[in-house]
Amino acid sequence: MNYPGKGLVDGLAVTARNFVGSYFYTDRLTTVQYPEERVQTPENSRTFPFLVFDESPDKPRCTACKICEVECPPKCIYIVMDRDEKGKPRQQPKIFDIDISVCMQCQICVEVCPFESIKMDNDYEKSRYGRFNELMLRLPDLLKSNEYYRQIKPTEAAAVDAKLKAEAEAKAAKKAAAAAVAAAKAAASPPATPPPASPKPPEGSAA
Amino acid sequence: MEKIYQLLHALLPSVPVWTVWIAAFLIPIGFIFGVYLTIFAFTTLVERKALGRIQNRYGPNRVGPFGILQPMADGLKILLKEDIVPRAADKFSHFLAPVLIVVPGLLVYLVVPVAPGMVAVDLKIGVLFALAVGTVSVIALFMAGWASRNKFSLLGAMRAVAQVVSYEVPTVMAGVAVIMAAGTLSTLTIVERQGGGILNISNLFVIGGLAESARCPFDLPEAESELIGGYHTEYSGFKFALFQMGEYLAGMAMAGVTVTLFLGGYMGPGSGPGLVGGLISMFWFFGKLTGMIALNIWIRGTWPRLRVDQLMGFAWKVLLPLALVNIVAVGLWHFLTPRPVAWVVTTGWLAIWVVVLTKCNAGAALEKREYRYI
Amino acid sequence: MNIAFWIISAVTVLGALLAVTLRNLVHCVLALILFFIGIAAHYFLLRADFLGAVQILIYVGAVAVLILFAIMLTHNVTGTEGPREVLGVKWWSGSAIAAVLAILLKKAIQGDALSAILPAGAKAHSSAAEIGKALVAGWVVPLEAIAILLTAALIGAVVIALEEIRKSR
Repeated sequence: MNYPGKGLVDGLAVTARNFVGSYFYTDRLTTVQYPEERVQTPENSRTFPFLVFDESPDKPRCTACKICEVECPPKCIYIVMDRDEKGKPRQQPKIFDIDISVCMQCQICVEVCPFESIKMDNDYEKSRYGRFNELMLRLPDLLKSNEYYRQIKPTEAAAVDAKLKAEAEAKAAKKAAAAAVAAAKAAASPPATPPPASPKPPEGSAA
Repeated sequence: MEKIYQLLHALLPSVPVWTVWIAAFLIPIGFIFGVYLTIFAFTTLVERKALGRIQNRYGPNRVGPFGILQPMADGLKILLKEDIVPRAADKFSHFLAPVLIVVPGLLVYLVVPVAPGMVAVDLKIGVLFALAVGTVSVIALFMAGWASRNKFSLLGAMRAVAQVVSYEVPTVMAGVAVIMAAGTLSTLTIVERQGGGILNISNLFVIGGLAESARCPFDLPEAESELIGGYHTEYSGFKFALFQMGEYLAGMAMAGVTVTLFLGGYMGPGSGPGLVGGLISMFWFFGKLTGMIALNIWIRGTWPRLRVDQLMGFAWKVLLPLALVNIVAVGLWHFLTPRPVAWVVTTGWLAIWVVVLTKCNAGAALEKREYRYI
Repeated sequence: MNIAFWIISAVTVLGALLAVTLRNLVHCVLALILFFIGIAAHYFLLRADFLGAVQILIYVGAVAVLILFAIMLTHNVTGTEGPREVLGVKWWSGSAIAAVLAILLKKAIQGDALSAILPAGAKAHSSAAEIGKALVAGWVVPLEAIAILLTAALIGAVVIALEEIRKSR
């Protein structure tokens, strides 16, 4: 039954139903009450890099090889290798700064890292009240555990873990193979003449 | 106002006359300012929340519990904003336009009766005063657009002026029909005489009232997507707030006049003279006013806005003939004495004309189109 | 002649004076609107409230808007170009003619010429009901004549607009 104005009245009925229904069926309301709730970001989303550690923050995977610093297009990474008392480099960074006001989230540092130690985070709440000091992420801010990495990016972390485990197993297998070869060689060749049983001059061990 | 003056003079005979006079002057004005400006503030909040619910989202709910303090926050924000006046603007007109929009909107409340005997000024020409004062805002629209020295503001102002002036005619005609039926121009008397079947003309008045106050679906002049902001593009800070206030006050004033003329004003079960009756009447009046405002908000959330040529065509080709037909119908209803005959004849007359006008204007509607994707 | 009359008259005359002396044409129209409102206040003072309300409705609501539209079509609205018109030769000659007209009108109003036209018993204040009754009882022929005139004007406006549309197609 078509009367002039039918469309208008039907429209009013639709909105009235929506209005009343919004009080009873709240799943139609698409609002996410930030900051009490947050929208779930997809797994692939990325914001700024972070450094992964396996057991404790004192032993990050990063070896301060500086490949990411060299490859970074806007040069936002600054690395200084940690050295021990004698000046020998410990394969760890002493200073690792990322300036996130410069970082363009291109992920090149992630792609070139040979140790799977720098990965992209998806934490977007990086606003600060200062523009220079506060937007510089230093080593303590960047170190996050592998558990965290598994939590934010499960598939990627699983792939990385599998790759690292495979590498470790390959290395162990190679070492075992080399040790086996060495042992076999040691067993096959005649035993080397044992050193004379004469009392050797004690090597520095004051009796 | 005279009643309050007499009441106060009787209560405090020792106080000098001019003090009583000033008090009698200030009390209704204070009431109007207090009540209607508060209703305006909360209408902005209720509108935003209701529109949000219609659109599957919450309205503002951060500022207070359920966003109750949002109007205060908005008011504070807009007071602290910088008041920018374009360098080439006509300073005097630029300053005067927001004032001229708010004042007529407030003046209409002087003749809207809230309870039996309680109207701020009981003019013998109440309805005419309300309609006349409403037309003064046309000047303000034009001044706002002209003073901004902005081509787009001027275009928006021209369209707004054309819209308001065109919709005044059917609105006044619909009011004329009520005046005919009631036999008086005084708003108080019109409310007291209601009880007959005059609801059929309220549609015209509602539509006219909506268009006059430039509310959706007629809010072309103020839509943000059209001509940036229309006539209030170049206004910021408190002047912009005054424009919004004037527009909302005009809308609520039109709602108030509609309630007075068509919906029975303060009448309802339990209303009558005396303190308790007066309070119940006020409750009925503000309830009906809230209902009309809710209808306005509902319509705003539902219907798309009309294009300017559709707008003008609607006013002149549909509403004005219907208004004239309506006057004839009211005359017929008044003079045909057996009531059932009057109902039948009037309804038939109106129905015939609605059908005729729909057929005549059908040429403007879009026919079903066939799309071919070659 | 109470104080309200003098105040309202002062405002009205101020509006009229501003309307003829200001440079910016839009400001002149605003002063003219002040003048119209002053006249409406005079009507209210004389207890002709219907006339006062209609004065506001028609003059401020429609005529002033019409004048504003017409002014927009002129080209020197801000009054900054060209020689100053106020206090020029044309201005003084116009003022002289207006002064002569004012004196003649005063003589006519204060004399007996007007009371010869008005019907007997006409009051200064009349309500809307009485005006309505007079319009349809005694003055119905002028009312219908005005209605026909207005209809002719409307139809003329539509015809002119139609011609423009047809020409532009």
